[in-house]
Amino acid sequence: MTAAHEINLEQVKARQKVVRIVVKVLLYAFLGFMALIVIFPFYWMIISSLKSLEEYRQAVPTFIPTKGWHFSNYAKAFTDGNLGALFWHTAYVGIVSTIISLVITVLAAFAFARLEFKGKNLLFGALLATMMIPGELFTITNYITVTRFGWLNTYTVLIVPFLVSVFYIYLLRQNFMQIPNELYLAAKVDGTSDLKYLWKVMIPLALPSLISITILKMMGAWNSYIWPRLVANDEAHRMITNGLRNAFTESTGDVNFPVQMAAVAIVSFPLFLVFIFLRKYIMKGVSRSGIKG
Amino acid sequence: MKKILISLLLVFAMLSSLLLVACGGDTTTTPQNQTDNSNTPGGTEQPAIPTVDPADANFQVPASGFDTSKPVTITFYHTMGQNLNAVLDNYIAEFNKLFPNITIEWTQVGDYDDVRDQISTELLAGNQPNIAYCYPDHVALYNVAGAVAQLDALIASTMTVTHDDGTTETLGLTQEQIDDFIQGYYDEGRQFGDGFMYSLPFSKSTEVLYYNKTFFKEHNLSVPTTWDEMEALCQKILEIDDHCVPLGYDSEANWFITMCEQGKTPYTSATGEHFLFNTPENRAFVKRFSEWYAKGYVTTQGLYGAYTSGLFIEPDPTMTRSYMSIGSSAGATHQRPDRVDGEYPFEVGIAPIPQLDTNNKKVISQGPSVCIFNASDPQKVLASWLFVKYLTTNVEFQAEFSMVSGYVPVIKSVETNEAYANFLKSAENGNDGIAALSAKVCLDQEEYYYASPAFNGSSKARDEVGALLQKCLPLTGSNLEDQIEEAFEDAIDECEYFVTD
Amino acid sequence: MEGSKHSWKAWLYLLPVIILTLVFTVWPIINTIRIAFLKDYSMIGAMGGKTYEFGFANFSKVVTYKRFTTCLKNTVLLCVLTVPISTMLALLIAVCLNAIKPLQRLLQTIFFLPYVTNSIAIGMVFAAMFNMIGKPSSPDSVGIINNFLGIFGVAPINWINVGSEYWANLTVMVIYIVWNALPFKILVLLGGLQGVNKQYYEAAKVDGTSRVRTFWRITVPMLSPMLAYVLITGFIGGFKEYSSVVGVFGENMGPAGQKGALNTMVGFIYDSLSQNNQGRASAAALILFGIILVVTMINLYVSKKKVHY
Repeated sequence: MTAAHEINLEQVKARQKVVRIVVKVLLYAFLGFMALIVIFPFYWMIISSLKSLEEYRQAVPTFIPTKGWHFSNYAKAFTDGNLGALFWHTAYVGIVSTIISLVITVLAAFAFARLEFKGKNLLFGALLATMMIPGELFTITNYITVTRFGWLNTYTVLIVPFLVSVFYIYLLRQNFMQIPNELYLAAKVDGTSDLKYLWKVMIPLALPSLISITILKMMGAWNSYIWPRLVANDEAHRMITNGLRNAFTESTGDVNFPVQMAAVAIVSFPLFLVFIFLRKYIMKGVSRSGIKG
Repeated sequence: MKKILISLLLVFAMLSSLLLVACGGDTTTTPQNQTDNSNTPGGTEQPAIPTVDPADANFQVPASGFDTSKPVTITFYHTMGQNLNAVLDNYIAEFNKLFPNITIEWTQVGDYDDVRDQISTELLAGNQPNIAYCYPDHVALYNVAGAVAQLDALIASTMTVTHDDGTTETLGLTQEQIDDFIQGYYDEGRQFGDGFMYSLPFSKSTEVLYYNKTFFKEHNLSVPTTWDEMEALCQKILEIDDHCVPLGYDSEANWFITMCEQGKTPYTSATGEHFLFNTPENRAFVKRFSEWYAKGYVTTQGLYGAYTSGLFIEPDPTMTRSYMSIGSSAGATHQRPDRVDGEYPFEVGIAPIPQLDTNNKKVISQGPSVCIFNASDPQKVLASWLFVKYLTTNVEFQAEFSMVSGYVPVIKSVETNEAYANFLKSAENGNDGIAALSAKVCLDQEEYYYASPAFNGSSKARDEVGALLQKCLPLTGSNLEDQIEEAFEDAIDECEYFVTD
Repeated sequence: MEGSKHSWKAWLYLLPVIILTLVFTVWPIINTIRIAFLKDYSMIGAMGGKTYEFGFANFSKVVTYKRFTTCLKNTVLLCVLTVPISTMLALLIAVCLNAIKPLQRLLQTIFFLPYVTNSIAIGMVFAAMFNMIGKPSSPDSVGIINNFLGIFGVAPINWINVGSEYWANLTVMVIYIVWNALPFKILVLLGGLQGVNKQYYEAAKVDGTSRVRTFWRITVPMLSPMLAYVLITGFIGGFKEYSSVVGVFGENMGPAGQKGALNTMVGFIYDSLSQNNQGRASAAALILFGIILVVTMINLYVSKKKVHY
């Protein structure tokens, strides 16, 4: 009887183990599959950068360069593209606008999440509403505005109009609201100032969101195209996507995409390193026992 | 949260009330010269270009002429790639030897559409450049703001300008210079319905027929000169190779418009009613080509799913291929097959595109022109004009630019240029001289260029007829004619909905 | 909450946001509203001295457009299909990524890569995956998706080429949009997951609560502020879908021969803008604004009941 019982128990245990393994396998299979899908464009960028223009234009695309690996595209990208200057302009705009934008966003999100004032919800609702009109309609009016300000061909014009993003304020507000109010009240009783509380408690707790915002903001600088072309397309301020689009145009007006891709890969690489570095801060999670509930 | 909801409602209410307050009407009423589009009646035949008096042009040369002592900076927007920029820089240096007081600042803006979008926004703040690459429909758009300088008074001017080295030139164009321009290209600048000249041609291309010379020789085929011959030839080719599509046509829009020109049937008009292309004759040629498509004679870039040049140079014998390809003369190198083991798999021949009527030969004219914007300082316009005139009438520049770009020069005298003559000779070198061969075929057709009427919205018509042909080619069935008619009506509706005067 | 004495501080903190928004967002919006009531208003035409009639003509012209319902239908369909799918997938991925040990760093890094991929590459890769090349009757190449489906015995499907059907086009669009939206949502939810106290999970483990139950009872409620955020902003963005359609179908906004079949509301706004009809574009934008506003209010109403702060 005992023996039978034990066997039963062992069977249950074994079954549990099988279930666990099956779950694990499914988990990895799912993640692996999604990872493949997500990584595909990145892979495409890299192999496109190694193809010849002829192979690139082929009707049926190849998934591995068949006509030689054109590492020379990278050399060409480097020499033709004036990449250094483009990179610094973009990095400057990216870094400055990210820092200022973070400060503005944190302060606003804090006000919306923690402070009480008349018209708070009206203001927040109004900000939310501004997201509902397609921004393309703003371009011309804003162009006229910055012209009146005399901002054309300056870094100001690349940075200032995009400092406020309701999208990020909202994200951070949600994050801040997750943090229990009791903490704030306790801090108030202790006589801690708002800013100190913000700096010591809220920011560390919202770090993953802040890093997400940083990444998106930086990438915004890397990908922005229409506005910079309109307002600051001079040698001294030209940004990366603009510069790349122009640099590799063949005489026939066709863009030499493989070289362009190589250039994109080169200038994205430092960003990639930064993100790898930041990844661990997103994933670390802050020790916060006793904070929630 | 409830408050946010209420506030969103409030915002909506606020905005709605704002509407009523804010809409006092339009206050910007700067009177400027506007092209009058209304007095010429529309007709099925294209109206003749009205003659105008240069004294009526919106830019008049000041009596004091061009001041060579005062520094003047002018800006130039173009789309030239890197190698062309080098050519341009060389000739700017040459130009500066004549006029050291003129500084030229050029910007490569992107592609043609980017130049248009950039300038149409900049115009609103008065930041437009002095000179820009343009297509006729861009000029029509800028004209809505009355921003483009009419060149007639400049062209007619007999004033003398003195160079830095003491030599002189006439400010305007001499009759000799005007005659040197290829007529079809030059006339494009006057296709705006009012008879004024708005642009000068810069460098041009057309469509040509690329064919697989090796295959044609092997099977004793002759190159078609008419669409009837083309039809017979396609049938023949399919008998030889039933896995092929004999002909690939790159641009549906070009095909449609060119057929209208060749058949003398209406397409659009710059004045009066704009969209005239829904006619029985046009529907008939569309029906004819959709029958071709059903028989597998022809495909286009959109329908095939990739560049038709790719179909033409397809190296894999198991894949569908074509033996003829109609595309831009400037893209000749894309129509050349890759070498396999150091040898070209076949030789490419280039010929003019087929015609409907050999007495009315027509081929499209493509490639940029340049226009000059009016400026508060007439010296800027004069300086721009001198530079534009220099580039478009300078034999060496036109020759060099053409050799590097694959486009053809806009003046006839370039053929006498030694370097260019040598370049054209390389057409004999088979596939290695393909760019020269294409240029040669292009130059041989200089009598046949047409330019479509340009008006604000002409690009919409172009988009729609391209989509129309794309839609009609795959149609089949017994009620083919009805379906085609419906598609035509749809395209006209779409044009008329979006284009407002 | 205590508070009115903080009032001035709150406004101080919000000052930069308010000023910048007034200049670069509110002012253009006011301009948009003004223009929407001027018939066929064109900014460049106004430069040339043209005057425009005041009234509701733009609005009636927009709603009577032959393809207005097509644009509206596509917009709504794309939005209601992609937002829930992408949110659920992202949630699943984020939770899984959080649950594994080996390979965690590698996989996390991979899910980061889309951020450093240039948008040009993303557009091009899609054509390569779904594009069929050759004669429609006997294509030479059917694209890797069809090759993949072929393994399971599925006959090649005409996804995006000439003669393709609407449901196939829509499927491709949904996949493309979900795929585009995933990285951002994963990032946000992964960040949000770090905010969930591990003690809850430990308690659940001790109680022997099943994984599925833990997910619904702990993970989802604790993540609800982030989920609400992702959903609400997702719907706002989803109604403005446009560039994704251009990414797959080009300016044609539909498969060859069916121009505009997949056009959206913002696509229509672009069409009007490209003909320099800012008046009509503005009117369409305001109509779209009204629709998004209603949907967002419903969303906020629902989330008010479901979200735990």
